[in-house]
Amino acid sequence: MLETTWRESLFGLIDGEVAKSLLIQSWTVFIAKFEGIFPTTVLETLGEVGASAKAYFYREAIKMTKIAVLIFCVFTFMQAAHADTESGKTHLITMKAAKLDSGQLAYQMVSHKIRDASGQVEDITGRYSPEPTIPGPAIVMTEGDKAEVTLEQGIKGSNEPVSIHVHGVHYKIDSDGTMKVFNHTSDQAAFPGKPYTYKWTAALGTAGTWPYHDHAFGNPVLGSEDKGLYGTLIVNPKGGKVSAMIDGQIKQVDIKDVKREFILWMHETTFWGQELNHLANRQVPLWTNPTIGAREGELVRFHVIGIGTAFHTFHLHGHRWIQPGTSHLVDTVNIGPIVREAFVIKAGEGVGPGNWHYHCHVLQHMQSGMMGGFRVIEN
Amino acid sequence: MTKISKLTAAILMTGFTGSSWAAQSGADDLILSVPGLMPSAVLEMSDEPGLWFKDPVDGDALVVIKPAQAAMIKMTDTNTEHTITSLLWPAGAENFPVDQEKPSSASVTQAFNKPGLYVFTCKVHPYMFGAVVVDDPNTKGLDIGSELQLVTGAKVPASSDLAKRLLRTFFVATTPSLWRDYSKPKWEVNLPDIPLNIEGNTISLSALSMTMPNELKKPGAPGVGEVWVNTQFEMIEGKKKPGTATRINTRSWSTTNKFKGIKEDMNNPHNMWTDKRYEYIYQTQWFDKKLLTFDRANGQVYSNIVVGESPSHVMTRPANDMLYVAINAGEQVVKMTGGKNPSAQNSINTGPHTSPHGHYITDDGKYMLTPNALASSVSVVDLDSEKTTEIPTGGIIPIAVWGTMDGQRAYAANLLGTPPLLSSLTVIDIPGKKKLMDINLAADYDPVSGKISGEAYGLLPIQTPVSPDGKYVVTANTLSASLTIVDTATNKVIKSLPCEPGCHGVHFGMKQGGGYYAYAASKFANDLIVVDMDKLEIAGRVLLSDPKDSSIKAHNGMGGQGILALPLVEHGNLKETLKLSGKGELSPEVEGWLKELTPEQKGI
Repeated sequence: MLETTWRESLFGLIDGEVAKSLLIQSWTVFIAKFEGIFPTTVLETLGEVGASAKAYFYREAIKMTKIAVLIFCVFTFMQAAHADTESGKTHLITMKAAKLDSGQLAYQMVSHKIRDASGQVEDITGRYSPEPTIPGPAIVMTEGDKAEVTLEQGIKGSNEPVSIHVHGVHYKIDSDGTMKVFNHTSDQAAFPGKPYTYKWTAALGTAGTWPYHDHAFGNPVLGSEDKGLYGTLIVNPKGGKVSAMIDGQIKQVDIKDVKREFILWMHETTFWGQELNHLANRQVPLWTNPTIGAREGELVRFHVIGIGTAFHTFHLHGHRWIQPGTSHLVDTVNIGPIVREAFVIKAGEGVGPGNWHYHCHVLQHMQSGMMGGFRVIEN
Repeated sequence: MTKISKLTAAILMTGFTGSSWAAQSGADDLILSVPGLMPSAVLEMSDEPGLWFKDPVDGDALVVIKPAQAAMIKMTDTNTEHTITSLLWPAGAENFPVDQEKPSSASVTQAFNKPGLYVFTCKVHPYMFGAVVVDDPNTKGLDIGSELQLVTGAKVPASSDLAKRLLRTFFVATTPSLWRDYSKPKWEVNLPDIPLNIEGNTISLSALSMTMPNELKKPGAPGVGEVWVNTQFEMIEGKKKPGTATRINTRSWSTTNKFKGIKEDMNNPHNMWTDKRYEYIYQTQWFDKKLLTFDRANGQVYSNIVVGESPSHVMTRPANDMLYVAINAGEQVVKMTGGKNPSAQNSINTGPHTSPHGHYITDDGKYMLTPNALASSVSVVDLDSEKTTEIPTGGIIPIAVWGTMDGQRAYAANLLGTPPLLSSLTVIDIPGKKKLMDINLAADYDPVSGKISGEAYGLLPIQTPVSPDGKYVVTANTLSASLTIVDTATNKVIKSLPCEPGCHGVHFGMKQGGGYYAYAASKFANDLIVVDMDKLEIAGRVLLSDPKDSSIKAHNGMGGQGILALPLVEHGNLKETLKLSGKGELSPEVEGWLKELTPEQKGI
């Protein structure tokens, strides 16, 4: 019984309260059974032997108590940990897939509200561009958050399904954002007038920068990410800190201290950019091969992501960073399709202000214009 | 025609404002980034006939934007690599020309400041056309510009005959409904009444309209054997990519059948060759990466093998029947074993950024010559040692080469001429591995007035074989829609014959009773022109479409490019086939063809 309780609790099949109750019950039963089999009066009649037996069983009982206490502590810890994995926040998001005037496709934020554990709702839709953009809206979550993302098919002149397939976070199979031909379950896509809702959980261990993209439009296998249907999901760690090489040392940087974030998607031979500006509290589309800007000494975070078929080498002049989870210092990283690199740097650290270049270091890609500037302005 | 409304709308369009959400440097102190160009229009390069640069909004190959707006050209709808290259643009336009050193899967976003016409192409597939018209809403008519600069460096007035020809060719090439369909009595190029602003004057686009009668004619004398034509633009039910190989019976001058490659989704079949027994057809897929091998007699597919980006032409070396496949978006020719399942043996490097297209192997099998589209050169490869000598020729996009049967001289067609020549053939001394001279194919053409004062009228030359008797070079000229015939004794154009829009492929075949026919196929027409090489006259026009074949969804018989006439006229190859004759190694059909040949045709 005790063992069963252990196992079930550990595997999370029953919650901590039930486990505690079962533990107490089983302990009571144990004592009752011992006293039922060997009543005190009987033991006393057995003299020393009885005393020894009693002492033995009580020693065992103490051992069992210790184990019980241990188990109880484990339950308590598990309960606390379990409670701590959920922030209670749910992102209620509505996005639309739309066609730009140029004929490219793009996602657009329609509404983003955050409901906290107490039921209070904060509307952050105003942070986003009111137009569809490439890349699409950057959704920012924190480990422990959940999201319900509803997609509308708003592509003019088309009745085809369109979807969102997200990377990194947890979701059930019905939120895979693929078609039945792919997932063998159902078409998880929006049709005109028939939105589709995806449920994501930014569980512990999903912190990072992740892509989301269409997996259905125009081609039930590939989708239309190549036409512009892609965007960024940033899951910040629960602890609120990321490691970075700052002033020559690896430090834990509070994300709240990062006021500018630059998202650069590498597609074919073009950078498609976006800034998350926390000073102005808004997302700014930067379109193709932009100049990104910061003040000297500011902490800025880059999110570089590949899409399409080409392999790139992202290089930023004058700056270097550590790759997440390592002390490996780099100034160039390989970026293949859907591969991403997110890092924090101090703008102009050790090198000062200037119009620092960033580019793909595949020379042929540079030749097609795959480059831009990182403008570090003197304070 | 969607572009009509687009052009009209563009002329009427005023007051467009861009997104107001973009960061504005200076206006907003908190945001220090400066956005890059936001494309107002996009052209997606595709494998789709006519729509090689496709506007995703309406499927046209032309977009209209305003000054200071940007357009993006990208390659997400094609199975191979390309370059994004300015073919012509308003002289003096900022940041022009656009070009890349070698083919890739690039995307380019470009700002356009100067009003006018900007035409883009791909140097590997140089009839892929797309255009951006930058129209100033304050001027009357759609701005074409005053002076247009060509990629060759030449500048021509926008009102010149050459500019108008280019404009009309652009519309014909990119609008399948304007292609010349010989199943109809007339060819009508009806262009819409859209005011164009050319050098400040308003001219209607409809002034470039034209009508011509369509007259088919079967040649009087039959040919020997059969002719295969790559009808590269035919769209077939059950297949996404275009193209078939059409077989013509030269006795009846009718279409026997079409090889479609449905299961393989054969993509833009461009050029063919065969083995010495004429059992297999080796088929390149130019907008793809594969070489397809099928049974010549029954169409059974034996293999479909990846060989490299944009395989363009294939030939065999007579002595050993090995295949040599030019990798047009690479810098090599792949050597392969022949047979049902060709297997790559090695790659012969033709030089950096060469992009070899229509290569040639000499009759004795000693040399291979490659015209290097991106390197302005011709490479001569000694096939025994595989040592390559690259000969700079100064030609712009050398696209095809062929040689005399004695192995002494070769003629390379330079699609965009040899500056300052607008249109040229370069003569190569094969054993000497050097350039001898350029032949001006358009010596009798005035590009401004359009006056043609003699026979030398060939613009944008493509395939250029030398006749088996060594007397003539017949060149398909795609812009002038003409066949020029050069006398190899004088290296001068002695004759021009009318061809079709998009005149492209030429090759020789046997005429019954002796002599040769030259067969010419055109991209934007569905006839095969037959030229009698004894008379240097057009002997007939044979229909390549098959109106009875309901599986042909569109572009019936269109897209004529590579030509393979059997028996092969090349003596080196033919000799190997003749060796097998009478030994039970050849099919009765092939034996029958060989019996019809004269000693001269056999090279005896």
